[in-house]
Parts: sequence; structure tokens; C-alpha cells
Amino acid sequence: MSHSTLLIAFPKGRLGDELVPKLAGTPLALDAEALKSRVLRIPTATPGVAVLLLKGADLPRYVAAGVASLGIVGSDTLDEMDIDLLELADLGFGACRLSLCAQTGVTLEALRAKPHLRLATKFPKATEAWLSKEGLTAELVPLSSSAELAPLLGLADAIVDLVQTGGTLRAHGLVETTVLGRSSARLVAARGAYLSEPGRLRPLAETLIAALS
Amino acid sequence: MPVRTPHFPDLLFGSAGRLRRWEGALMGLLAAHGYRELHPSLVLREAIPDGALRFFDGDDLVALRWDFTMALAGVLARGFPTPPPRVSYAGAVFRRPAQPWEAVERFEVGCERIQPEGESPEEADVELAQLLMAIPGIIGLKGAILHLGNAALVRRPLEAEGLFGELADAVVAALSRRAPHRVKEALDGHPSAARLVAHAEALLSELDGPATLNALASSPYSELLRDERLHMERTLASLLPILPPNLELRVDLADVAGLGFYTGPTLRLWAPGAQQELAAGGRYDRLFPGLGRPWQAAGFCLRLSRLLDLAATRPDLFESPQ
Repeated sequence: MSHSTLLIAFPKGRLGDELVPKLAGTPLALDAEALKSRVLRIPTATPGVAVLLLKGADLPRYVAAGVASLGIVGSDTLDEMDIDLLELADLGFGACRLSLCAQTGVTLEALRAKPHLRLATKFPKATEAWLSKEGLTAELVPLSSSAELAPLLGLADAIVDLVQTGGTLRAHGLVETTVLGRSSARLVAARGAYLSEPGRLRPLAETLIAALS
Repeated sequence: MPVRTPHFPDLLFGSAGRLRRWEGALMGLLAAHGYRELHPSLVLREAIPDGALRFFDGDDLVALRWDFTMALAGVLARGFPTPPPRVSYAGAVFRRPAQPWEAVERFEVGCERIQPEGESPEEADVELAQLLMAIPGIIGLKGAILHLGNAALVRRPLEAEGLFGELADAVVAALSRRAPHRVKEALDGHPSAARLVAHAEALLSELDGPATLNALASSPYSELLRDERLHMERTLASLLPILPPNLELRVDLADVAGLGFYTGPTLRLWAPGAQQELAAGGRYDRLFPGLGRPWQAAGFCLRLSRLLDLAATRPDLFESPQ
């Protein structure tokens, strides 16, 4: 890889689906032909700047290691990972809530009263912080996807998961009982690349912020 | 059982030679400026910190030297009624890695400038910055960037607002991430929130040359930080006329790394495109009083292990083939 090519890490999935259309017509628009293919390194409209398409959970590691100089990732992912990154801006889009959700009719008080509470989640760190703040204890059931199934099938009493519109929750007969935190897309940068070459990275970061705001 | 990456790199011919050559050249530079070498023992038998590499020697828990400044401070505070003004060191320190790619054994060269309390520290701060400015040329870096910061720019406003403990830590962590929105989140509802958020935005607004200092004018704490600003202006005025070619000087108002240790001006040396700083230092006036000595001190440490990595992975950053 040439040191002169700047790589930006974009998330695949929900955030990426929102992000890519926002960049259409900007200097960082992604090459449409490459996007249709299966390649994960996509040229942009700016020569010397390319985009890596990565899973959200992997993305911070690529940026922290300096492979990608900049990246866009949800603050929920950042909060779960103890990783050294600069967080240059809250981009505002991809906003969602991190919520405790249970089957319709199950209240927060009922969950509090359980002698052995089981919570399924992809966000153990945020869940543990909330439990500690509330003075509660619970057994955490770590899951990596489809957490909504856990209360329905008896794997857990409730889940802690991201909620954007609430459609998926409703489809599974679940409701939010309380909001633990909020998440949105953040522009992150490799500490070394940004501090050692701000003249190179700052204009690119500003272009991204302008394109996405 | 967890699988752990071995973090004990062996230096083969080229790297071993480079280490020896750099150590010699750097210690020569420091000696030429009046710095005298101290070599604290590799084995510590007291005050063993968590991050140190520890083991049992019979029934005694001991640790390997984990930080030269702390080891030297112990030696000086125990054995010297008045401080030697300039000391230098070279060798390895051993620390448990905080990140998976960090080595346990790290090679360093550095220096400490120590003065009795009450002496003006400015001359010493400029002397250290000048020494650091000479180092890229000595090790053959084609270009380098020297960041000047000041820990007091964050420390003093936090103290003035009575912000300590977890909340202050959250603000410092947000500044370390250069994330003013995180400062706002951390201080939500606190009476000082508006002032400290405005201050964070001022500190993070620029990362450039001497004009960066102008950003302090928009901070609500500009009067409180008047002395720090004047000190930085005078330092810049001393350094800019003697700036070597290929060395860039930048002011980093939001440098909060090591804020629990540093009390005043800070220095960091980078190479363009390097992923980690190559040298770091600054003023730490609380260390010796904590050991019962009324002395003030500043110093810097060159991370030779990182430089060796850089020479192996980015030889294009060095003057001659490394």
C-alpha cells in the first residue's frame, strides 16, 4: 500500500447504508461500479483517497493501527471498545438509543424485582455501567446478533440493544422500558496520523464533515 | 488459558547496531550540554507499581525498572542534599503492555533538568526544547515535528472549577480524544459546563504554528492562563530563530497526555506519518516535593524502541538507508 494513499474506513450495515448516499455528488463520493462489486476497497471521486468497507466492530482497530487514517463508526461501538482513537466530530446521523427492552407488559420495576435477572446484549460494557449506576446485579448473556429473540425464547428476561425506529422491537412484541444512552455516527482518526500530519488529514476530515452535515 | 503474544523482541544485527549507535550519539549530545549519566539499578525492591514486570526473588517481591524518571527521582531524593542540575540516562525499562502491539522491554535515552524551588524554570524549559530540536538531525530523520503544549492549560481551569475525580477524568479523556462533544456530554448539568466546553473548543480549534496561541483569547479562562500563554510565547520566540531545517514547530493546546504527572510545558516529537510519538517530556514540579525534596524538574525521554520500529517499517523517513 502506498503511503500517499489516504484510506477512510466506512462501516458496513445500518450506518453505511445511511452514509454512502449522503456522499453522492461530493468529493468523497464512492465509485459506483466498485460499490456494485464485491471489493472492499473503493476509490472515491478524489484521487489518492480510497474507502475501506469494514464491519463496525473491526473498524476502530484498522484506524487505531493507522491502516486507515480516518473512519466513521457509531459511538456505541466506540464506547464498548477500549481503544485509543481521536473522535473529531459527532456527525449526528445514525442516531439511536441504547435501551433496556422487554416483552410488552413487563415493566422496569418487575425486572428490578427479579432475584436473578438475565440480560442479553451486544453491549456488555454499557450494560454493566448502567447496572452499577442503578445498584443492580444481573447475569449478562453475550450475543452478537438478533438479541430480540432472547426474551421470546427464554434465553433472557430482557435485552439491552440499539433502537432506532422501534420497528424491529414491535415486530417481536418488545417495548423499551428505559433508555441507557444515545448513539450517533462519529468521525474518528488515528492519533498518530492526525497529530503527525494534521495538514494532510484535517482538510479531508473537514471535507467529510461538510459533506455529511 | 488466554493466549498471549510474546512481547520480548530480539534485536538482530541491523537494529542492534542502530540502537548502540543512536544511544552513543544521543548520550554524547547530552554530555556535551553538561548532562551527567546516572544508571539506576535494573531491579526495584520497593514501591512496586502495578504496571511493572514483577517476580519473586526467593520470598521477596521485586520488579524490573519500569520508568527512568521515577527510578532516578528515588536515587536523587535519597542520596543528594542538593540536586545535580543535569542528569541523563540510557537503557531499558520493562512495563506490562497496555496495547497488544507494545513490547515489554523498551529502550530509552533521556535527561532531567533539576533546580531548587524558586529558580526560574523558563531557561531550563527552553534548554530542553533546544536539545530535543537537535535530535532528529542526530538520528537522521528527514523531517520531524515538535509539539509544544502546556498541561496547566487544562489542569488550572479544572482546579479553578473545583473539578476533581471521575468528572475531571472524563473531561481529560474527552480532550485526549479531541472530542469537544464528549466534554459537553461529560459535563451535562454541571455549573461549569458552558465555560469548560468553550475552553475545550478553544484548545481544540487549532493544531498549527505559533498563531495557535491566539485561540486562547476566546477561552473564558484566558486571564487565568495569562502566565502560561506568556511563557509559551517567550519559548516560541527563543526557538523559532534557531529552528533547524526540516523541523516543524507546532503548538498543541490540547496536549493532555500524562496530565496527572506534568504540571507545565510539555514537549512531543513526531515524524510525519509515524503512528506514535518518538519522544515526550515536560515539566513535573510535583514529583520531588512528593519525595520530600523542594526541587522542581523537567525532562524528556526518547523512545528508541519506537525509532527502531520506524527505521524498520518506514526507512523512507530517514536520511540514509537504515
